[in-house]
Amino acid sequence: MSRFVIRRLLGSVPLLLGVAVLSFLFMHLAPGGPDTIYVKNSRMSQAQLDAIRHNMGLDQPEHVQLVRWLGNLLQGDLGTSYSQYRPVWDVIWDVFPNTVYLVLTGLSISLIVALFFGVLAAVRPYGIFDSFTSFLSYFGLAMPVFWFGLMLQILFAVKLGWLPSASMHSAQGGGALDLVKHLVLPAFTIAIGSIASWSRYVRSSTIESLGQDYVRTARAKGLRDQTVLWGHVLRNALVPFVTVVSIDIPLYLTGAVLTETVFSWPGMGRLFYDALTKRDYPVLMGILILGAVLIVIGNLIADLIYGILDPRIKYA
Amino acid sequence: MIRLIPQPGEPIDADELHDVNDLVQARIDGRISRRALVQRALALGIGAPVVGVMLHATSDLVKGAPSDSRRATLTHAQDVEPVPVSGPTQPEGEMQEGGTIVVGTSEEPDTLHPYLTYLATTFDVYSGVCESLLEYDSTQTLQPALATEFAISPDGLTYTFKLRPGVTFHNGDPLVAQNVIDCWKIIMNTDFGAWQQIGWNKITDITAPDELTVVMTTEEVYAPFLTYVGAGQPILPSSEIAKGLDAFKQEFGRQRLIGTGPVTFVEWKAKEQIVLARNETYWGSKPHLDRVIYRIVPDTNTLLVQLQTGEVQLCGSAGALGALDADKAVAYDNVIVLEHDTQSWQHLDLKHIDFLRMTKVRQALDFATPSRQIIEQLLGNRVLPSVADIAPINWAFNPNIQPRPYDPEMTKQLLTEAGLTQGDDGIWEGPTPAPDTTDPNGPATGPVKKLEIELWAVAGSSQTERIVQIIAQSWNEIGIKTEVHFEDVSTIFGPEGYTYTDKMTAGLYTWTNGNDPDDLPYWHSTQRPTCPTCSGFNTPAYFFPFNFQAEIDDLTYRAATTVDQEERKQLYWQIQELLHEELPVIFIYWSRDYPVVAKNIGGFWPSAFTNLLWNVEQWYLTQ
Repeated sequence: MSRFVIRRLLGSVPLLLGVAVLSFLFMHLAPGGPDTIYVKNSRMSQAQLDAIRHNMGLDQPEHVQLVRWLGNLLQGDLGTSYSQYRPVWDVIWDVFPNTVYLVLTGLSISLIVALFFGVLAAVRPYGIFDSFTSFLSYFGLAMPVFWFGLMLQILFAVKLGWLPSASMHSAQGGGALDLVKHLVLPAFTIAIGSIASWSRYVRSSTIESLGQDYVRTARAKGLRDQTVLWGHVLRNALVPFVTVVSIDIPLYLTGAVLTETVFSWPGMGRLFYDALTKRDYPVLMGILILGAVLIVIGNLIADLIYGILDPRIKYA
Repeated sequence: MIRLIPQPGEPIDADELHDVNDLVQARIDGRISRRALVQRALALGIGAPVVGVMLHATSDLVKGAPSDSRRATLTHAQDVEPVPVSGPTQPEGEMQEGGTIVVGTSEEPDTLHPYLTYLATTFDVYSGVCESLLEYDSTQTLQPALATEFAISPDGLTYTFKLRPGVTFHNGDPLVAQNVIDCWKIIMNTDFGAWQQIGWNKITDITAPDELTVVMTTEEVYAPFLTYVGAGQPILPSSEIAKGLDAFKQEFGRQRLIGTGPVTFVEWKAKEQIVLARNETYWGSKPHLDRVIYRIVPDTNTLLVQLQTGEVQLCGSAGALGALDADKAVAYDNVIVLEHDTQSWQHLDLKHIDFLRMTKVRQALDFATPSRQIIEQLLGNRVLPSVADIAPINWAFNPNIQPRPYDPEMTKQLLTEAGLTQGDDGIWEGPTPAPDTTDPNGPATGPVKKLEIELWAVAGSSQTERIVQIIAQSWNEIGIKTEVHFEDVSTIFGPEGYTYTDKMTAGLYTWTNGNDPDDLPYWHSTQRPTCPTCSGFNTPAYFFPFNFQAEIDDLTYRAATTVDQEERKQLYWQIQELLHEELPVIFIYWSRDYPVVAKNIGGFWPSAFTNLLWNVEQWYLTQ
């Protein structure tokens, strides 16, 4: 298996380079640039403007900028943020752990609830529980995050006063319990969308598995329904579900912009949005590369989980 | 030497005074009138530019004379309307020493470095941590800060500042004259890349005769020198500058921020909050509060929720609410919503090309723009109508100009007079001014085109989007085909933005004026950018100069270089009349700011002239 892992990781290097080059090119195709805001400064002379462009490296042709950036990347240097004047890695690392807290909490809730809802809905398709979960799913998918988040804030923070409305910690600081209190509303907001979509995946793949021959065989052997369902059916039904989750998690880790904005959560989504509006190319490139790396790792982990769920899958 | 703290006395005869500094001091002390100062200075043969400098020093050039009546106390008696700011908040209850106030704002600073950023939210934070030689208060009056007094040479070229003795930076370094010299050097260092050098770039020589005296020599008499250098960028410790360009850019303003102000920088948690604490060794009156915490709340709805729950107790300056959100906040019973005018003007920037080079077409667009409906119905009269580029709170404002009403019939009449007719599709069309004509209001001999305008605005603000939609709907109904574009700031103002396409475009956005009414950067031909990435503020005239360019050039230049305030005021009145007649842009309204403060907070005194923490040492909580 270790050879498989090493081969996959080595194979992803050209992929990541491709992502880097394409991201760079697309980014420079976008209108505007990091110097736009200086151009609109009535107190900025042409000489000052030229000096700022030179310091940013924007006075070089784009292919020179790209080669320079790739050279630095290969040495582990993501560059310096145009807007914050400090290393991109420091900028990202300031907020990345916060997003990990939020996303892992939200997705853990999603995973448990979606599995539970999906499997139970599949046992009696079109029954009351299935209809109930279908309604919840469509509600979760259709509902705008900013509206749902605001409703949660008004209910739990303003009306009931049970939970803080936003941010990651109380202004005066606090320990683990304080963090947990602040996590509840944003994590649930992130979870609701995933629960909605994932439970539908689990439901449909479980229904498909329930119709397979091995299920009939297992039942014919006299196994209890619960054993068949949770021991055999679910294990097979999870294989396509793992693929979906493995793609979703890295995407969430690189930014749940709306949830982070509504709940003032200091995470990657807000960083990406801010960098985008300021055309802070080095930060944007850093986040995109990190996202690509996470997707590669996520897919690798998914492949490894396939092998655990389905022993027929061999790593060669 | 000039003391900025007034020591009022009996009126004196200006003819008894024989020196620049004595005249300035007498004016600050309220013992002679502004007119007497000017007349006596001219009688003494003091050059007109130097008189301009003197008027800046007395705060007369920026906004009338200092007046104690402006400091009326604001009490917390709020009904359902915002309370106009007339002084610091003074809640009922006993003042408490200590405590923390949590301030909310929507935008996070990019850096707290005073020399590197242009963001108002950064100014708000460092205005409590760092100090300049002088400072403006909320009545727009110059006050002493790190300099206790100053003197201007008779030729107006040399300034001598006496530094306040016994002041130390937050890192323990004493404030000495060398700090000022080092700050000037780093601001002027091109490799460092300060965001603004204006004022500082007039200095040709700077010396320190002793540890607490700084002498600056300027290349020419420059009236706003005290505004841009005296009350401009703050003085920072030399020991930080000495750490090198990289450290001074990357670490200072992020890992640490060191000044002499009433609060010290404690920590900055990215995208979450900035914590400031009381400076126990502050040279002035000790702050009442233990801490001020600046919370980043990017969503306005969330900020409103946090004001309701008390998680945020104050927002103001760059974080103040807009007109629509103020309506919601007045319903909360734990806060008071304040109101003050600003010098920010919302307008439609017209690109002078094709039909938009013609005065009658621009006037037609003004008649077709339902500004009054926007102000009254959408914004609930929480803004002021604007007719030109100088705010009603500025001394140079011309009150005699009335806004044009919404009148579609006048629009049609003016378009017809401009040679346009309504086509079968209902869209106005006709010959455009020839590209090579210098008189676009003369007979139009250029290509026949339809009157189609792209209307651009910054995406993300529901208020802006609604205003744009109202205007677009109105224009379309009249037969001016209008297509709406919402983009981010970088796109709108970038080379691919509306300014640099060869179509007829308009852009809705806000400019904020400085304390001086100088509007030359907006309209003068020298300010036309020569390429899409070149500097220059007069972007409406990028393709073609205004049809009234010579006139506006002359007026704005004369107004910027005239020092007699009455004469200058008359020039600005003429400029406003010309702008209202010619409409280089369509003026819509002057914004008002709506700071919100918890009912137990005293000493808070926001204004259009100050940053948030300018008087943080006076903030307090009541028991």
